Amino acid sequence: MLRTLKILLTSALTKGLVGQFVAWALGYGFIAGLRALRGMPTPWLYEPAVAFGAIVSFIGFLLAAGVLTDWLKWVVGKRTPLRHGTPEGKPEWSRYVNVDYNHKVIGIQYGISAILVLLVGGIFAIIFRIELAQPGMQWLTNDQFNTLFSAHGIVMIASILLGVGAMVNYLVPLMIGASDMAFPRLNAFSYWVSLPAVVLILAGMAVGGWDTGWVGYSTLSLRAPLGVVLFLLGFWINGFSSIASSINMLVTATTMRAKGMTLFRMPIVVWGAAAASIIQLTATQTVGVALTMTVAERVLGLNFFDPNGGGNPILYQHLFWFYSHPVVYVFVLPGLSIISELLPVYARKPLFGYRWVALSSFGIALVGFLVWAHHMFTSGMADVLRMPFMFSTMLVAVPTGVKFFSWVATIWEGKLPKNPPTPLLFVLGAISVFLIGGVTGPILGTIPTDLHLHDSYWIVGHFHATMFGGYIFPFFAALYYWYPKVSGHMYKERLGKIHFWLMLPAFWVMSIGQMSVGLLGMRRRVADYDPALGITTTQVLITLAALVIGWSVLIMVYNFISSARSQPVAETNPWRSRSPEWQIPSPVPEFNYDVPFEVVGEPYDYGLAGSVYTRNLAPAPSGD
Amino acid sequence: MGRFRHFISVVILLIASTVGLRFLFEYIFALPIAASAEAGPIDTLFNGHYWMIAFLFSLIMVFMIYSVFVFRRQDDDETDGPHIHGNTKLEVGWTIIPLFVVLGFGVWGAVTLNEITRPKEGEMTVNVTGKQWIWNFSYPEQDNLGSGELVLPVGRTTVLKMNADDVIHSFWVPEFRVKQDLVPGRETTLRITPTQIGSYKLRCAEICGLNHTLMEADVRVVSDADFQAWVEEKSAAPAFAEMTPEQRGAFWASAEGFGCVACHSQDGTPGVGPTWKGLYSHEVELADGSTTTADDTYITTAIYDPNAQVVSGFNPNIMPQNYRDQFATREQEVESAEAIDLDIAADLIAFIKTLQ
Amino acid sequence: MSAATVQTTHDEAHGHEVPYATQIRSNRLGLWLFLFSELFLFGALFTSRFVLWGNTRPDLSQEVGLLATGVLLLSSYFMYRSETGAAYGDQKRFLRSALIAALMGLLFFIMVVVMEWNVFGLSGSLFGIELFGHLKPSDGVYGGVFYAMTGMHALHVLSGIVLILIIWWNGRRGVFTPERHWGVEATAIYWHYVDVVWIFFYPALYLMGQPA
Ligand code: HEA
Ligand code: HEA
Ligand code: CUA
Ligand SMILES: [Cu+2]
Repeated sequence: MLRTLKILLTSALTKGLVGQFVAWALGYGFIAGLRALRGMPTPWLYEPAVAFGAIVSFIGFLLAAGVLTDWLKWVVGKRTPLRHGTPEGKPEWSRYVNVDYNHKVIGIQYGISAILVLLVGGIFAIIFRIELAQPGMQWLTNDQFNTLFSAHGIVMIASILLGVGAMVNYLVPLMIGASDMAFPRLNAFSYWVSLPAVVLILAGMAVGGWDTGWVGYSTLSLRAPLGVVLFLLGFWINGFSSIASSINMLVTATTMRAKGMTLFRMPIVVWGAAAASIIQLTATQTVGVALTMTVAERVLGLNFFDPNGGGNPILYQHLFWFYSHPVVYVFVLPGLSIISELLPVYARKPLFGYRWVALSSFGIALVGFLVWAHHMFTSGMADVLRMPFMFSTMLVAVPTGVKFFSWVATIWEGKLPKNPPTPLLFVLGAISVFLIGGVTGPILGTIPTDLHLHDSYWIVGHFHATMFGGYIFPFFAALYYWYPKVSGHMYKERLGKIHFWLMLPAFWVMSIGQMSVGLLGMRRRVADYDPALGITTTQVLITLAALVIGWSVLIMVYNFISSARSQPVAETNPWRSRSPEWQIPSPVPEFNYDVPFEVVGEPYDYGLAGSVYTRNLAPAPSGD
Repeated sequence: MGRFRHFISVVILLIASTVGLRFLFEYIFALPIAASAEAGPIDTLFNGHYWMIAFLFSLIMVFMIYSVFVFRRQDDDETDGPHIHGNTKLEVGWTIIPLFVVLGFGVWGAVTLNEITRPKEGEMTVNVTGKQWIWNFSYPEQDNLGSGELVLPVGRTTVLKMNADDVIHSFWVPEFRVKQDLVPGRETTLRITPTQIGSYKLRCAEICGLNHTLMEADVRVVSDADFQAWVEEKSAAPAFAEMTPEQRGAFWASAEGFGCVACHSQDGTPGVGPTWKGLYSHEVELADGSTTTADDTYITTAIYDPNAQVVSGFNPNIMPQNYRDQFATREQEVESAEAIDLDIAADLIAFIKTLQ
Repeated sequence: MSAATVQTTHDEAHGHEVPYATQIRSNRLGLWLFLFSELFLFGALFTSRFVLWGNTRPDLSQEVGLLATGVLLLSSYFMYRSETGAAYGDQKRFLRSALIAALMGLLFFIMVVVMEWNVFGLSGSLFGIELFGHLKPSDGVYGGVFYAMTGMHALHVLSGIVLILIIWWNGRRGVFTPERHWGVEATAIYWHYVDVVWIFFYPALYLMGQPA
């Protein structure tokens, strides 16, 4: 007990948080001191001081946690051998609260953080959903409501990015036969930098909150309470994580593939991750510019968006959506590739049209760059822009359709088990949910219908369905599917099934309910609604469904925690997959493959007698 | 069963499911009543989309659920499925066909958009101003008549010319279907042709800060005759010179004036700003801990320079800081029309005095 | 084995980490991806300039702008010399050119941030040329865009200078060899990149559009 506490208190996590706090205080003090020198008093929570402190604070976190140590050593010309394995005299779990460079450890760190952050965002949703169940204000003020839904949106998105990081980090090196990512230190940086970002966003709720939603439109963000600055900076810092991890992923997949693994013999997950990384690599910068400009306009008095100085509020929207539309495909592309990976395993059939599925990820990513202004059909932007964006938006349906049709063709005549295990249930659920999310998209893409639907709950229904179907359900499928690989134990199947059968129907009620009230006139981002709209019953149902979803997620968390202790050791390859990571022991050894492999066949050739995907090469001559 | 038999079953299920879903949508995806001419083509497009949603959802789901149940293997069955890699013809097919479908919908959307946005005959203009968190309308063709509710003659296309004072707002009356943002620093327009006499609610659809939820206004669609009558009644309102300062103050505070009521209640209910009830000549506790008495000087400062003395428990920067200019402009406007020496701030104070 | 490990790290010896040559291939790709990413940062600023300024520009000191641009371009040449010096083992050329490049970078930085930025309250003139700019950060969108573009670029110049100083300092201690000087190569690529960005920024800020 005492030892556990000691390890926790001296962990990089604790040090980082303390470092962040100290650096924040120093940054605040610096500005306050400068003002004091000029004889100016600094009011409590003086915005420039808070903002400067926040920027310094994330560096403080990284320094104190030791994320930058190796790089600083490089600066002074020191060699820094990578540390491997569990530090001597420490328990295995201590790796997860310290800076570790192994991609599997980082992947798990990402995964656990993603779930924790999901719970936080979920609690916010549940709090404001209870308020929305009944017309009239019950237990929140407008102020609290606005802060809660804004924080819910951005916290959930942070959670998704963490979850995508988990899947990419854990799976990509394993699947391509690499021992690690190309840049292990950069990898650790990507993970650790997202923690102070989340801290900033949550801190923003404590210092007045903000009322701009996750989009932070100008000029509202210029007038919003102080919390908005911390939200913008947290969002901004998260961008470092996205850019760094996308560079790492792309380099890893380019230079570290196993012998014989040509592009069209890569596991489909690598394709999805690569397409998502290209978006993260590029688009993140433009939202960074938008966020920087907003902070600069508030704190430094530069002018970009406020029309009183000649600025243009619509410019913010363009810069914002140039990132934030493509980023929805960052959320779903890895998830969709999980679906494509798992279906052939369970159907015992090759992935139908592998090349088309692989290329459609890139198709979606590329077309996704051309559609951003469909979020702005009512914004009053130039009319000549509305039409082209309508057509480009409609085009995204085409490559997405290729995926759906190929999945259906994969399981057609396929031998899915009569008693589907939990990962398969989540995959099938994901298809149905993403489908309803997807098909409710084109109706938003045609402008006349969007004029009614924009900023209504139809949108809320649309994007929860796409994000649950494209990310949450596949992510949960992946968690259950690779759980035996990661932990060495099988999860409890019964609990997994209960989780699914609670979550799927509840989700359907929630999402269809949201769309339904939206059509009838329920606006987004309102704390209250008029009972005359006739939507009270539906609102109650949505809230109840939200509670059920919440409980079901808790069941999953319980399942994972308890199974690691009580369940028997899992078989090496319980799903009879051909993928290389299932051919080695669970949990995976420190350096993945003791014997490197060579790719000699197609990845998804289920049903072809005698075909193999990988073959072991002669053992490498060992060192020492 | 042979492949062909499977396909027949699936097609039957598909048709049943599509029609069934489309029927279900009448209930779960019901639209509010249509009260404008624009709603017509838009609802037709909605209908088209509903059919497509019903069909596509059925298409994938029927195939999927059918496969799950019909082709599944027993628990102890370890054999693999047939080795089918793909089929280029199929892939091309399900790329090209959706491509044409979505392009078709794009064209449909474009035609509809053109129909609802093109200028129509006999248009009337209404200026709409949105500010946190109040709507204000004025009728330039009716002698700049100002109003806090939107009254529209039925059957006549109205062009709304919209401006926002502070942040982005959005004009949405669900029964009219169309929506348009109000953007500070530029004018946006929206065309509406009401077709149904009745009362509706305008609600701001774009998050605009603290009281976004409450940013509403009444919308009334009336017959031509009623519209004329309303205009006359409104225009016959007494001139400012004939009103008492208290009456003027009440007017300035209303949505038609400067919209103070959006934040300051007159009956003691809590709001974004301090209530006006019982304010005058009472003690006020300020954010810096000191107290002061709400006399004329205090209130004038509070209007012109709201951040100078923030009341404890309220946030700075919420109240616009340009009322001195706004008042001056308005005073000049009125003074050039009527022989009166106007002081809006004094009127407001007179009004606040009555709220004890 | 011990003799052979001199050139390899612990990890390479164990076969856990990729050999130096492969690592450099990865590094190079990573760097270019990073620069590609930065293209969108500068691109967004560049686009904002056209949205907010349209066909106008603020009144800026043409002389200082031209001089600063010249200095920065020239510094790229010295950076190139420095890199080839490192590649051919010409220690002296490597170090001296690096230092010159850094100094010229600093000069550019001073000209833009100290002279063009009107935040330090300086004034003065030389040969009848105004040395210090008068565009303030608060001067509407002109101030906003100008400070954002030059500021973001200056930040990159500054980090470039720091990088050059780091390789210079390490170079003096003999860390780099003709075979192993990735640090120098990366710094040089980065420096040229920052330079190229300015080639787009300079006309956008100083030359295009009508002076307002
Ligand atoms: C993971 C997230 C995700 C995904 C995948 C999508 C996918 C799509 N989205 Fe969505 N969207 C969001 C997340 C997502 N969206 C979010 C978060 C918002 C709100 C942001 C905010 O304001 O806060 C939003 C808002 C949003 C808007 C703005 C609405 C508004 O505010 O007015 C629009 C408008 O065009 C739109 C369109 C689409 C389209 C056309 C797709 C397409 O990609 C869908 C394609 C898929 C299919 C169509 C189904 C499968 C295809 C077939 C079966 C083939 C045959 C199909 C046809 C013939 C049509 N979305
Ligand atoms: C992946 C992203 C994601 C996810 C998973 C969710 C999940 C949920 N969302 Fe959210 N949502 C967004 C992304 C997401 N949302 C975004 C981007 C917005 C837009 C914000 C904006 O407008 O700016 C939004 C907005 C939004 C709205 C509209 C708010 C408004 O416009 O006013 C609503 C309303 O119903 C809603 C509801 C829910 C609900 C009920 C869930 C549920 O599924 C949540 C389920 C609950 C849990 C997963 C938590 C379980 C935990 C517990 C029950 C407690 C456990 C306790 C401890 C561990 C201590 N969301
Ligand atoms: Cu005005 Cu919302
Ligand atoms: Cu979008």
